[in-house]
Amino acid sequence: MRTTHRYRTPALAALAAASVVMMAGCATGGSPSSSAAPENDPVAGGELTIEFWPDNAAFACVDPFQTYWIEHRQVIRNVADSLTDQNPETGEIVPWLATDWEISGDALTYTFNLRDDVTFSDGTPFTADSVVLALQSAKDTLEAVPGAYGGVYIAGLDSATAVDSDTVEVHFATPNAAFLQGTSTTNLAILAASSYDATPEERCLGDVVGSGSFVLDQYTPGDGIDLSKRDGYNWASELNDHQGEAYLDAVHINYVAEDSVRVGNLASGASDIAWPRAPFTPEDSALLTSSGATIESRSLPGPSSAYYPNVSEGHILAEKAVRDALQIAIDRETYAATIYGEDYPVVQGAFDTTTPFFVSQADALAYDPERAGEILDDAGWVLEDGADYRTRDGETLSLVAPITAETPGDVLLQDQLKQVGIQLVLSVYQPADRATITAEGKYDLLATYYTRADPGVLAWILDERVAGSKAFAANAQEAETAKTVQQLFDNGVQETDPEARADYYAELQELLISDGISFPIFERVQLAATASDVHGFRFTSESFLSYYDIWKSGE
Amino acid sequence: MSKYVLRRIGQAVLVLWAAYTVTFAILYLLPGDPVALMLSANNIEVDSLTAQEREVAAARLGLDRPLWEQYFGMLGAALRGDFGTSFAKGIPVTELLAQRLPSTLALSVVAVVLALVFGVAIALIATWLPRGRVSNLLRRVPAVGVSVPNFWIGLLLIQVFAFTLGWFPAMGSEGWQSYVLPAVTMAIPTAAVLAQVLTRSFDDTLGEAYITTARAKGLSRFDVQLRHAFRNAALPTLTILGLLVGATVTGSIVVETVFSRNGVGRLAQESVLQQDFPVVQAIVVLAAAAFVIVNLVVDLLYPLLDPRIARTPKVTRA
Repeated sequence: MRTTHRYRTPALAALAAASVVMMAGCATGGSPSSSAAPENDPVAGGELTIEFWPDNAAFACVDPFQTYWIEHRQVIRNVADSLTDQNPETGEIVPWLATDWEISGDALTYTFNLRDDVTFSDGTPFTADSVVLALQSAKDTLEAVPGAYGGVYIAGLDSATAVDSDTVEVHFATPNAAFLQGTSTTNLAILAASSYDATPEERCLGDVVGSGSFVLDQYTPGDGIDLSKRDGYNWASELNDHQGEAYLDAVHINYVAEDSVRVGNLASGASDIAWPRAPFTPEDSALLTSSGATIESRSLPGPSSAYYPNVSEGHILAEKAVRDALQIAIDRETYAATIYGEDYPVVQGAFDTTTPFFVSQADALAYDPERAGEILDDAGWVLEDGADYRTRDGETLSLVAPITAETPGDVLLQDQLKQVGIQLVLSVYQPADRATITAEGKYDLLATYYTRADPGVLAWILDERVAGSKAFAANAQEAETAKTVQQLFDNGVQETDPEARADYYAELQELLISDGISFPIFERVQLAATASDVHGFRFTSESFLSYYDIWKSGE
Repeated sequence: MSKYVLRRIGQAVLVLWAAYTVTFAILYLLPGDPVALMLSANNIEVDSLTAQEREVAAARLGLDRPLWEQYFGMLGAALRGDFGTSFAKGIPVTELLAQRLPSTLALSVVAVVLALVFGVAIALIATWLPRGRVSNLLRRVPAVGVSVPNFWIGLLLIQVFAFTLGWFPAMGSEGWQSYVLPAVTMAIPTAAVLAQVLTRSFDDTLGEAYITTARAKGLSRFDVQLRHAFRNAALPTLTILGLLVGATVTGSIVVETVFSRNGVGRLAQESVLQQDFPVVQAIVVLAAAAFVIVNLVVDLLYPLLDPRIARTPKVTRA
């Protein structure tokens, strides 16, 4: 008798692994509030533990110029300083490593005067040459890694030259009025020369030496990041509550996949700050507040969470009437309240409210199912007796929306559209398939977003000339409209007068909604829960967390 | 015997090669272009690149050569222990596995030991007790253990032992305490399968004539079970041990996610979803190697445990 050997195909086992469905946490809101000002003065010392959702599986990278992942950008914000800082309340650009600046009338030349008392954490001084090197490295990185995220900020960059040790000139081949705001972002943070000697890959994995109030000690992809206090730091921007060194000795960041674990750890005192991607569920919010935690919130600047249509030939949304009906068939108030909780803000336009130049389009987005029905009736899409969905010449009014994982929000939206006779087909895809879906136009509605405190960033979604996906941009609008939209983007980025810029962006925002280029679904709100002994919490203009003012009171 | 061992090792190598090749074929036949994938990791799509930029990107990944050349190049490198560089994580795959493997390996070993202890104990007690309420209950417990989803057990354990009692951490891989909850979570379904198989084979073995003889000699129930029945009853259990190793690989995916552990299981899940070819290739080879080695060990142990196999007369052609 011989024993039989069973070999299961390991390849299949590994692929079966792909079908393991992870519990996707459903999202939702908490009540906006702010840390109660503590009675006593800040105390230095102590270590802070922050828990994020999982690390970026597609791109493990903490290089300021390359990374787009908002949690990575948050860490960088505290490790590397930028030329300027942006006031979260007003959008105003204020001095940081640069003391003042001049912009030529044609938006082609920027001159920055720099501080002369700044050093990087490796001891080397920050000078005009550091800025020249940083911008040269940005251009080199862009060549080596096409599409590196920082490219968004240096459109048209020609060269940078050091006038003297603390004056630098930046020259553009084409006007770039958004560059000043760009200099306040983490993506254009200035690193020490040693970091630019490293390869883009090495920088991604933690070879990042900055002049920030914390030093990056260790980045372990998928696991966590350790920061320690920068000794002798003394060049914080005016937006902070204090000057000098940071209060905390160290900050530890852990990546925690399960929402419930992140919430439980904070409630049980195992961590100090829970920083999720999706808003807390009402249940989690209740648990957190009952444990004495404070829930902070701020909208993320940039395009709101929206669906963009495919209006190319042969698609139902090529018909303007259907887009008009769709825009008012979405009940955004109910969406916000049901999915994210009673206090959650209702989305008011193609951008979140914290984006500079934001203009509310709430009236144009008002829920009006009767009117939506009339528009569709007039267009010949009729609801036969007993039918669930409208039809015309035997074709069902059915829209395909590819999604990565079904959320309660998707199902609610599906139901809202059904009320007016529109069928929303949710098809789940793997992240790896997105490029194919977009390129082949196999969708009617597809969602995307971006985080930047400048409306011009939408060009990277909708302007075919620079968009991350040409197909996505081309599909989203009719050819004629696209020309108008591009013109508005150009005007917005070339105009240096803030009032004129505001007019262009107001026109753009109106057009995005009235022409059905953007179908906003919800405001993107960054929530965070802080333990009761954590004080000095401050959101930056990009809704990241500044660790600089944070201190812990003794237990 | 040595010929037999050599042949078995030859088969093992063949299986590894087949696993490697099948994975390569599946990955490269999947819709999706690796260059496009690398770029979409950067939030950019391949259609927005000029042909020249695209070539640069492909050359960086070594994807500009014909498919057969890539295959033999990669296979040759793999034989030298070089599995290339991860698309998503930007570091050599061997380095990545060296970082992640120890934690998964340690967790798996603890889980398998726990599973053996619990599985064998349940089976022993269930069959040693006279048939009655307790024995019946013990015989039914494994069915529950197999059916309850792993992630739910994990979350439940976290809720009770981490948040409420605060005995063990809910996450991470620091200190022995961090092994307890994930290892128990991983061990439960495996222990349940073991207990089921072992209970069945005990029932079969205890009905055999030689057991009746042993009892007639006046041995206690417990002596009969441990000394006479256990060795024979354990044989089928040994056979499924190989499958259990496979179960720990899939189990680690769920458990490492729930307990935020940075191991090979989570790496496998991330890499498959991202179509990170080099990493998936290496993990498949690794898993195949584990299967092959465990099965080889089981095969070589069989004759030692069961003389009937060792003494089977060889059929030779005249």
